[in-house]
Amino acid sequence: MSIKIDCLLERNNFKLDVQLEVEPRSVLAITGENGSGKTSTLDMISGLLACTEGKILLNDKVFDDATTGEFLQPEFRGVSTVFQGGSLFNHLSVTRNITFGRGIALKDTSRFHEVVAQFNLESLLSHKPSTLSGGQRQRVALARAFLAPSEVLLLDEPTTSLDVNSREGILKTMQNFFKTYDGVVILVSHDGAEIAELATQVAKIEVSRGKTTEAKLRA
Amino acid sequence: MKRQISAPRGLWFIAVPGIALVVMPVLAVVWRTNYANFWTSISSESSRVALLLSLRTSIMATVLALIFGTPLAWLLANRQFRGRLFLRALCVLPMVLPPVVGGVALLFAFGRRSPIGGALDDWFGIQLAFTQTAAVLAQFFVAAPFFIVVMEAAFEQVDQRIVGTARTFGAGPWRTFLTVTLALVRPSLIAGVALTWARALGEFGATIAFAGNTPGKTQTVPLAVYSQLESGGDDALALSVLMIIVSLAVLIGLRSSWISVLKRGGA
Repeated sequence: MSIKIDCLLERNNFKLDVQLEVEPRSVLAITGENGSGKTSTLDMISGLLACTEGKILLNDKVFDDATTGEFLQPEFRGVSTVFQGGSLFNHLSVTRNITFGRGIALKDTSRFHEVVAQFNLESLLSHKPSTLSGGQRQRVALARAFLAPSEVLLLDEPTTSLDVNSREGILKTMQNFFKTYDGVVILVSHDGAEIAELATQVAKIEVSRGKTTEAKLRA
Repeated sequence: MKRQISAPRGLWFIAVPGIALVVMPVLAVVWRTNYANFWTSISSESSRVALLLSLRTSIMATVLALIFGTPLAWLLANRQFRGRLFLRALCVLPMVLPPVVGGVALLFAFGRRSPIGGALDDWFGIQLAFTQTAAVLAQFFVAAPFFIVVMEAAFEQVDQRIVGTARTFGAGPWRTFLTVTLALVRPSLIAGVALTWARALGEFGATIAFAGNTPGKTQTVPLAVYSQLESGGDDALALSVLMIIVSLAVLIGLRSSWISVLKRGGA
């Protein structure tokens, strides 16, 4: 279930060249300066952006192929995401956020209760996200991503908004989850400690700034 | 002395006459109305018929704006296509066009002597001009742009990351639109509906040109005010006061949301 990316994203004065292959059960950490295209890389994998050239494959499933014009819509990719700030649905309860897209029936499964307990969310299930603290919101976002059946998990700075105390616990929970997760994890992070605790491999986006900014990611 | 950074001197001096120009006519109507007969005036047969007709046609025009305007606004906000700017200009055109010109245009498009109107009449026996449907279409023509402008601005403000998140968690484009995007734009949607309805309720020029001024059939409240003013009745003033109250109620009821919508949209 390895993911294979060989693609180029061109926008205005920005060129991002990504070539990477990540094996299942490994955690790739992507680092790089601001504006180097870390989030854009995740967006191409999740299907929020299309490559300008090249292709993205999960095993033999084509996510995106600029040559043939194939483009698999995000809802069919089996990619779970935790974007910066959590991207929660503020009009829905925590329960509905966590079970989003797979129906409320999920809330009666043992897996649901397990994940809710892992992230310490039992007392918050009926709350709206707007009433939660930043750390609580991030726990909801992580719970949602861990509960969704997925083959790829994308995490964009998952612990940046957390305070030191809750960070430790959440890093442990994530570590435990990764041990049992069969898919590919790609983690964008600035944080050395987070990378050291979670990642099995690290890749840095190299940037050369000229008339156009050229960014290169190899892994 | 207020403890705050000073404003240019004399702004109030210039602003107050401007406010007066808007407020005085409204006050004049409120002042001159005969309140002893107010209830009799607005519940008279002709007023009641006009009020019910206005209510019905303006609600239908608003529903049409909601149904057709929402997808159009979404496309204008989210999709790059050839002629997008031109299409937007066309959508907003009725806002700056004299409504009576709009009414004349509708007449030439759907009147009996136009190709479309003629065909509708010949094939289906449907006549649009000078009917209640014409009143609805006239109100839609003039009021729908308000809805489209408000909603386009709202859709542009939607956090695409949240929409994208919904997609990655398995919701298709329609489901995402209905359960996430619409929830995110709800305040604007309410404000847009209210503004559109208020504009439709007050529509005069396009209605009189395309639907005519037949009491009981196409004579909405603004037309009734105009007609009764010519015959010098108290009813005109009473209906005017009622329109002022309704309009103010809409604006005050929505003051926070519509002001923020207009500010955000820069519309």
